[in-house]
Amino acid sequence: MATHEEITESLEAFARAYSENARLKVMNRDWDRNVLILPEDIESVHTLVLKDGELSFSQGKTAEPDLTVISNSDILADMFFGDITPTEPYMNGTLRIIGSEDDILRLDFISLLIWGE
Amino acid sequence: MKKIVSVSLGSSKRDHHVHTKMLGVDFEISRRGTDGNFDNALSLLKELDGKVDAIGLGGIDLYLYAGKTRYTVNDGQKLLDAVKKTPVVDGSGLKNTLERETVYYLRNNTDLLPPGCKVLMVSAVDRFGMAEALSELGCDMTFGDLIFSAGIPYPIKTVEELEEIAGKTLPEMVKLPFHMLYPTGEKQDTQDDKKVEKYGHYYHEAGVIAGDYHLVRRYMPGNLKGQLVITNTTTREDVTFLRDKGVGCLVTTTPELEGRSFGTNVMEAALLVLLDKKWEDITPGDYLELMDRLGMKPRIQQLQNV
Repeated sequence: MATHEEITESLEAFARAYSENARLKVMNRDWDRNVLILPEDIESVHTLVLKDGELSFSQGKTAEPDLTVISNSDILADMFFGDITPTEPYMNGTLRIIGSEDDILRLDFISLLIWGE
Repeated sequence: MKKIVSVSLGSSKRDHHVHTKMLGVDFEISRRGTDGNFDNALSLLKELDGKVDAIGLGGIDLYLYAGKTRYTVNDGQKLLDAVKKTPVVDGSGLKNTLERETVYYLRNNTDLLPPGCKVLMVSAVDRFGMAEALSELGCDMTFGDLIFSAGIPYPIKTVEELEEIAGKTLPEMVKLPFHMLYPTGEKQDTQDDKKVEKYGHYYHEAGVIAGDYHLVRRYMPGNLKGQLVITNTTTREDVTFLRDKGVGCLVTTTPELEGRSFGTNVMEAALLVLLDKKWEDITPGDYLELMDRLGMKPRIQQLQNV
């Protein structure tokens, strides 16, 4: 089980990698979304905010979410650290994403473009 | 009589049945759509296994390519695994040869593809041979893979960048349900109005629009100015649709049989039967020689009065 602090660190790593990727900022400049990160096994809430191509995050629920990402804390931390891709847990049901199919696919792309081989 | 059946995840409205002769061999060719129902496609494949000479898989890709790397689509593999006796092809082997040749033919025999012309390929990883050939001939390319499949407004401009992005995303994307990546069933008969409005300008800015017909159709805006479309499978209704949108000229890569051009999966299945070889043993040279003997040339149709 990962801790709230570990999830925070994983989101810091994700946001750092995103900010270093100029191409991703161009790709997402039209995509303003709030993404709620909810581990189901510990008390922890984070909000990822994509606005004008920039990505930031904060602790707690700070905006109404367009997408909600739900899984156990280990999977969430591993995913945002780039140790695992979202596809497999999404396909086997251990990762649930509530939102439109287009937004889910796009979030998957962003993750792969940050951490993909 | 050789029997070929194309089992498609696409709409059953496009079903078709013809008898034809190639190099003296009689063929009965039919297409059976399952309206996006994956389980029905599996059942149909099992039912046909051992009863026909070759099966084409339509409405789904078994393989996607970027450079020399081939990515196997999980859902395509599941369909392939359902068939034990009859050879099954998805058209990807023929696409690589036929569609490259179509591009070279148009450059050498027409003025439809001048150097520097602006080409939109709605998706390139499913027709990498065509993408490479167009780039090689100096066309100004926009690969719309991210734009139309993922809704990311980022035009990929070079084959090298396409390969790089595909290398990062395709190993995982091929594991997703195919309907998340490609329109299946009813989606093939409709347009994605939001994307048409948002990304239709890429069509207007291009002189040539190339790629899979269902993708070309799904995102095509109106008021085109006589653009050229290079694609594979069209019915009479499709030709009317393209004409109404303002397309000026249509090039289809596969020959017309009784009023429509069949998918590359069907043609590849027919060539496989004629070659009488295992799919994995067939070379691009085999396809080229056979296409030459069959006199296969791209079909060019003017759609507007000039």
